[in-house]
Amino acid sequence: MKGLTHFVSGIAVASFFPQAVHMAVQEKSFILALGGIFGILPDTLDFKFARYFFKPEFEVRPDPNNLDAKKIAEGVAEAVKKAAEDGKSTLQLHTMQLGANRWRSYSLSFEKETNEIVVEIGPEIDTGQLPFLGTEVKDPQKAVARVKVDCEFQQDFDKKSTIGIMTGPAFEFAKTEDGKVEIIFLPWHRTWSHSFTLGILTAFIAGIIAYFTVGEGPNPDLYTLPRWMMYPLIILFGSAIHIIEDSTGFMGNNLFYPFTKKRTKGLGFMSASDAVPNFFFVYTSILCIIFNLDRFHPGQILETRAISNPWFYWIVFWALPSVVMFYLYFKGQGTKSKKKNKPDFDSPKMEHEPDVSVI
Amino acid sequence: MQTVLNLILNPQYLILVYFSFIGVLFSLIVSFLPALHIYNVLGILMLLVFHLEVALPPMHLIALCIGMIVGYSIFNTVPASFFGPGDESMSYYVLPSADWLEKGRGYESVILTAIGSLGGIVIMAILAPLFIKIVPILKTVTGPHLFWILGAVIAYAILSEWPKGLSYSSSRLTNFLEGWKYLGIGLLTFFLASILGFIVMNKTLVPVDFAFQSITPVFVGLFAIPWLITNIINIGKVPKQHIPETVEIDWALVYQGSFSGFLGGFFAAFMPIVTAGIGGLLSSHATAQRDNRLFILSYGTCKTVYYVGSFLLFFIPGVYLTRGGLASIVSPVMFATGYREYFLFVAIMVFSAGISFLMLMPFTKACIRLVEKVNYKWVSIVTLVLLIPAVFKFTGFGGLAIMAVATGIGLMPVLFQARRMNLMAVLLVPVCVSMAGYGNHVLRFLGLI
Repeated sequence: MKGLTHFVSGIAVASFFPQAVHMAVQEKSFILALGGIFGILPDTLDFKFARYFFKPEFEVRPDPNNLDAKKIAEGVAEAVKKAAEDGKSTLQLHTMQLGANRWRSYSLSFEKETNEIVVEIGPEIDTGQLPFLGTEVKDPQKAVARVKVDCEFQQDFDKKSTIGIMTGPAFEFAKTEDGKVEIIFLPWHRTWSHSFTLGILTAFIAGIIAYFTVGEGPNPDLYTLPRWMMYPLIILFGSAIHIIEDSTGFMGNNLFYPFTKKRTKGLGFMSASDAVPNFFFVYTSILCIIFNLDRFHPGQILETRAISNPWFYWIVFWALPSVVMFYLYFKGQGTKSKKKNKPDFDSPKMEHEPDVSVI
Repeated sequence: MQTVLNLILNPQYLILVYFSFIGVLFSLIVSFLPALHIYNVLGILMLLVFHLEVALPPMHLIALCIGMIVGYSIFNTVPASFFGPGDESMSYYVLPSADWLEKGRGYESVILTAIGSLGGIVIMAILAPLFIKIVPILKTVTGPHLFWILGAVIAYAILSEWPKGLSYSSSRLTNFLEGWKYLGIGLLTFFLASILGFIVMNKTLVPVDFAFQSITPVFVGLFAIPWLITNIINIGKVPKQHIPETVEIDWALVYQGSFSGFLGGFFAAFMPIVTAGIGGLLSSHATAQRDNRLFILSYGTCKTVYYVGSFLLFFIPGVYLTRGGLASIVSPVMFATGYREYFLFVAIMVFSAGISFLMLMPFTKACIRLVEKVNYKWVSIVTLVLLIPAVFKFTGFGGLAIMAVATGIGLMPVLFQARRMNLMAVLLVPVCVSMAGYGNHVLRFLGLI
């Protein structure tokens, strides 16, 4: 999901605490924004820190002046063979920058049916990933390569990775019990940072700090939870909503790191870069925030609320637009699946994780 | 039918059409002068109206203002594309449009933006009756929460900037430092712009006589001059521009772009201090945009909804939200408006948008002819030479000093490819902190009081 989706969802979760809304109104507290900050934090940790701790055993650095798909495919095959022999290996693919706003693209896929690594050199593209016409490699021998390996592949979903701009993707290859080689995309992403364990730990530390520093607010008898507890709870639920939202995609998360070692598969409902699901989550969150700010306003009763008819609010502003959104989404999915077999640089099942603008 | 005809043909209303047309023409001239913002011109116009005691009925003045703001929101794409952006709202759009200009598609980029602008006007006109119901609710609900919503926007702006390095080195530390170089510059820009904002908003060097222009040198320094300097350093000649008879676009793209742009524009119009650049960024993330055409089109919608929508909010009966510079400028002469004035506003807005769109095409072609004949570098030099005395004329030596400091800060993201949105901290942070009630503490800490 997009960073904004997680951010707004985090705020929405925080707004379900009446006391937090009261703190915002009466004490000018920024506590609701805290939900948003911890909502986006798992991705911040990954893309600003964790990626730099990843040390690949193999690196493929294609030469833009001597394009050769076979050389790239052989580099990948070497890493796969190492995993088949030793149990594990890691690989970093690098991009080819040609100018300030010009890159040479290539794609990589693993064919389960033939045990082949397929590399295709693509056209030159700009940073917006738009291709420049006529820049395709003319020599088919250099443009496409298929390298067969002796092991079978295991991957959760058919995936063609396009390596285009900025930093290229990383892979981990791990030998499974049945002798196959599992392909793990971006091994440094959605691991410890995307675990409930980290959320609990962070909330626990925040709770200790809040316990000693946050005093009792006005009218403590009105609330069932002490005021200091708002901070750890909002941090916990803010980060948890991120993990839950990411679990609706393909990649999944390592839910209870370090107790669980691998990422749990995602539910596969949607891709992280799909426009409609992202907007659906943002829109629903905004409606929740507005609704909660209204109903939890200090001293509010139904008759004095700005949203005096909740049923009307949810049916007109949420249910009906949601029906339209899902119609558009499934219509779009149908159109995409018709194009499935065509070569496509923006494959429908591809999660554009290497591009940090989509996380 | 007779009632409708009476309403349409009533000279009382026809004169409003005349004034809005004059406003559109005026905005065309203002748009042609690079880095000159319509709010500055309107501020001067208002002073003239007061000073010369020109007898202009309020509704005529409003029609003039609507024509100017609608025209400006559509025309300003042209100088921003060919000469550089005038404010933050435009600088967000300029990067992709400069890319299109380089490919000879500057005209197409302008027309796509204008289609987006028209989309925004159409959506606002359709939703105008709904605004009467929804905006008061939004105002009531969010009123006590604006400070933390601004705080959340600031937090997201900082957290959502990702490292840009290529990580080609085998050393992790080198890759980390390379990636964080961009983030560090972004954070430093944000911090310095915030400090500048506190100083300018509380202890400005601009003489009191020119207080209404006190923010002008800041924006000229942060956005206009850095762009002109980089143009002078980098660009030789604008490549030959292709003027196509049609633009490559389909209805799905128009709907999607207009919808997304409307969301961003409305958020920017409704929230104090938030600009179209920030609104555009948020809406493009909310709708997961990936297509350059979609970005350019939705940006057209976003900035038009921002500029015009913030003025429209002021006319919603019973709400009178003062958002955006224009509402603040006209508020001293405005009377309490009702439904009639509100829907007249909508009608004049639609008329002005249609006229502006028709005038945009020859205007763009004229600009293209100019930049193709005249060296772009010289256009930037002349603009710079005109801009500095203009700032001096309106804000004195104090304004020049502020402009010089702002230019230094404004150059940082341009030179290091960090996000220029960080510069908006100049307004976002001081306003957010003041709304939360911590303004005095910060000012005391900075030694400003």
